[in-house]
Amino acid sequence: MASRRRMLLKVIILGDSGVGKTSLMNQYVNRKFSNQYKATIGADFLTKEIQFEDRLFTLQIWDTAGQERFQSLGVAFYRGADCCVLVHDVNVMKSFESLSNWREEFLIQASPSDPENFPFVVLGNKIDVDGGNSRVVSEKKAKAWCASKGNIPYFETSAKEGFNVEAAFECIAKNALKNEPEEEMYIPDTIDVARERQQKSSGCEC
Amino acid sequence: MHETDIHDLSDDADYAAASKQFECLGGEVKGYWFRGSSSVTRSDSSKKSSSSDPEDAQIVYLKDNVTIHPTQYATERISGRLKLIKQGSSLYMTWIPYKGQSSNPRLSEKDKNLYTIRAVPFSDIQSIRRHTPTIGWQYVIVVLSSGLAFPPLYFYSGGVREFLATVKQHVLIVRSSEDANVFLVNNFQDPLQRTLSSLELPRSLANGTPSSSFRGSPSDNNNQERLDTVTTSEDNHSGSGQLNIRQRQKTHDPARDLSIQVLEKFSLVTRFARETTSQLFRDNLVDGHGHGQSQSQSQSQSQSQGERRRNNWASKDHQPLEMAPIDDPIVPKLVPVPSDPIEFDKLSLVWGKPRQHPLGVEEWSSFLDYEGRIMDPDALKKRIFYGGVEHNLRKEVWAFLLGYYSYDSTYAERQYVVSVKTAEYMTIKNQWQSISPEQAKRFTKFRERRGLIEKDVVRTDRSLSFYEGDDNPNVRLLHDILLTYSFYNFDLGYCQGMSDLLSPILFIMQDESEAFWCFVSLMERLGPNFNRDQNGMHSQLFALSKLVELLDSPLHNYFKQNDCLNYFFCFRWILIQFKRQVEFEYDKTLRLWEVLWTHYLSEHLHLYVCIAILKRHRGKIMGEEMDFDTLLKFINELSGQIELDPVLRDAEALCVCAGENGAASIPPGTPPALPIPEASIYQQQDDEVL
Repeated sequence: MASRRRMLLKVIILGDSGVGKTSLMNQYVNRKFSNQYKATIGADFLTKEIQFEDRLFTLQIWDTAGQERFQSLGVAFYRGADCCVLVHDVNVMKSFESLSNWREEFLIQASPSDPENFPFVVLGNKIDVDGGNSRVVSEKKAKAWCASKGNIPYFETSAKEGFNVEAAFECIAKNALKNEPEEEMYIPDTIDVARERQQKSSGCEC
Repeated sequence: MHETDIHDLSDDADYAAASKQFECLGGEVKGYWFRGSSSVTRSDSSKKSSSSDPEDAQIVYLKDNVTIHPTQYATERISGRLKLIKQGSSLYMTWIPYKGQSSNPRLSEKDKNLYTIRAVPFSDIQSIRRHTPTIGWQYVIVVLSSGLAFPPLYFYSGGVREFLATVKQHVLIVRSSEDANVFLVNNFQDPLQRTLSSLELPRSLANGTPSSSFRGSPSDNNNQERLDTVTTSEDNHSGSGQLNIRQRQKTHDPARDLSIQVLEKFSLVTRFARETTSQLFRDNLVDGHGHGQSQSQSQSQSQSQGERRRNNWASKDHQPLEMAPIDDPIVPKLVPVPSDPIEFDKLSLVWGKPRQHPLGVEEWSSFLDYEGRIMDPDALKKRIFYGGVEHNLRKEVWAFLLGYYSYDSTYAERQYVVSVKTAEYMTIKNQWQSISPEQAKRFTKFRERRGLIEKDVVRTDRSLSFYEGDDNPNVRLLHDILLTYSFYNFDLGYCQGMSDLLSPILFIMQDESEAFWCFVSLMERLGPNFNRDQNGMHSQLFALSKLVELLDSPLHNYFKQNDCLNYFFCFRWILIQFKRQVEFEYDKTLRLWEVLWTHYLSEHLHLYVCIAILKRHRGKIMGEEMDFDTLLKFINELSGQIELDPVLRDAEALCVCAGENGAASIPPGTPPALPIPEASIYQQQDDEVL
């Protein structure tokens, strides 16, 4: 298996404007956080090399504009996605309520071959804000929504503090891998980089 | 090919007869602009036998009040009659403007001639793009195999569906898999193969008729003749431009016409045009790319000049033909890159006029009369186009460029405008300021809109001292102006990107109300970019693809083969007018914007700026075989690396070069042109407005 060429896994991050999509991506790929990100216009992506067992993968993470009005661009960017990450801000109810819309819009525009089983991962970001006091979307509520949509894995994150970001993206990568056709590759039973990690989340039910 | 037995409709006398037969209005008018009859005359230059049989021809579709909008002015529209004519197995399209119905003296017969579509065979048509807005007129854009597009044809009395249905009865058309509004003509391939096959079409047509390409001699003399002809015609406002029409009839190859027209424009720019023309033709012939394949006859005559020119370049240490542009000096060439049909990089010294120093205070005052009116706005715009404005003058000059001040206003009138507008601004601002917290609780749309703006202003240009730091009052002003704008134009509301556009304006105007009204003026032009359906963006990206096809067909073909024709990689450039590209030097953004806002040469100079930048990197893009993702990344990372002045010179040259064909590639109402009034109502559903 080690001789196979490196595989590209394409991940799309969606969610309302200002929920922290760019920050999550940068925290995961560059382990950096900045207060000075600009609103994303159009789309951009970062890549990260990851290794599962003896195989190397390139994770290509797409960051898109968060305003609904730019959704029509999605057609160009969502195509060929292996996993879709839905992000909300636990301090903003509207951003949580928008998840359904983002999910549906993604399925329409990316039109994956098996929409029923297409892998999503939900992130509740900004749990650090105000020590959690300004929080309006409870973990229970988010998990209930995830359960209703076919047991979507859910993670609570803080891009600012780097909390749970690594674990979330490991799950994202693993789900993206799972989306690949079986004959294309070997799916490992375990992912060593993810082991022994305490997660404040429902975890990745892969 | 099937053209051999068809009636040559391009012949004057025959066409007049046919026109009479069909009771056509104004059918004898001829245009030189598009040689629609190309493939017909190319293949039967010596055959006229069937041309006396107009009975063969049958009108299968006729529509009146089909109109072209040469400018955004309602008074300058040209109405005419659109027909589909069936002859033998071929279908032709004609659009003949009505005679003598123009109320506008600015619309001469010459203008009408220019736009006339004379018997274009569908074998020359590549695609038809349909546009059917809910509000406003339906129109179609017909794109020829050569890559040229006719200006949009507006169906004032409806009938687009019927038109397409009729075409479908007679010609094989298929709907594009990429865009349901695009109908591909002559598409005999599997949809997956389509990209490649249509790509080859112009070349195979030209190659298929190697010896009959021209009737006349396509020598340099002929180029000169054409050039003179065009010049004469443009100088001629008496309507007798038809005198020259016979001469123009001699050219029939659309690919050749394109090259010639491009080069004619080019020759106006540089005295080296003649030699370069030969050079270009030969190079295109040699490497098989570009438009010049059929120029073999001109080649021999001009070779020596071209050789000399090439030697001159060599002796001056110019880069050899295939080398990368200066921007990418160490790019390894992985694949051979087709040479630029316009030999862009090497000629940059003679392209575009040298940039001038910015307009200063003393010179500025020379543009004003004693009461403060701008005596010659066009001269002022031209001056700013070539040099920009000194920073301390920007506050005053931008108000004119953006349309807040009118050019013929006096000092006193402007003072008055400012006071009236300030009061008006305060009234609008008060509309949202008076919303109490209790009311806001019950006003979701307001809260959401305000939330979006709050999120964006704190991440707009914060590294600039003007906006940096906590509780910066200027950030507050950005917020207030944007929220006030979203009440002023509630239908459009707030959209990401607007804060990027407002930031430099506030920075220059340093006044809340003035910045607001300047922003309002700018949004009159750029508003459609932010529409929910993104129609403004789509029409610009479409126009961009047409312009690249016109100005750099190898690059266009490359994009086509690599699924990049949506040009989404230029989305950010266009939406926020290159701001993030040159943002590390804020001053460059200010300079670029004031140049764009002059609308000198073109309202759409920004599209030529896109092409100028792409062309500077074409070697790298094609050499490294960038796919869509890589290209997007590459372009996003060009931030701060764009040299403004050379790019502006290139853009100017490209714009001049593209000329009328360039202008015709851009649908009317494409931002930043002012919207066509009837179609300008923002079509948004209530629940989608934020």
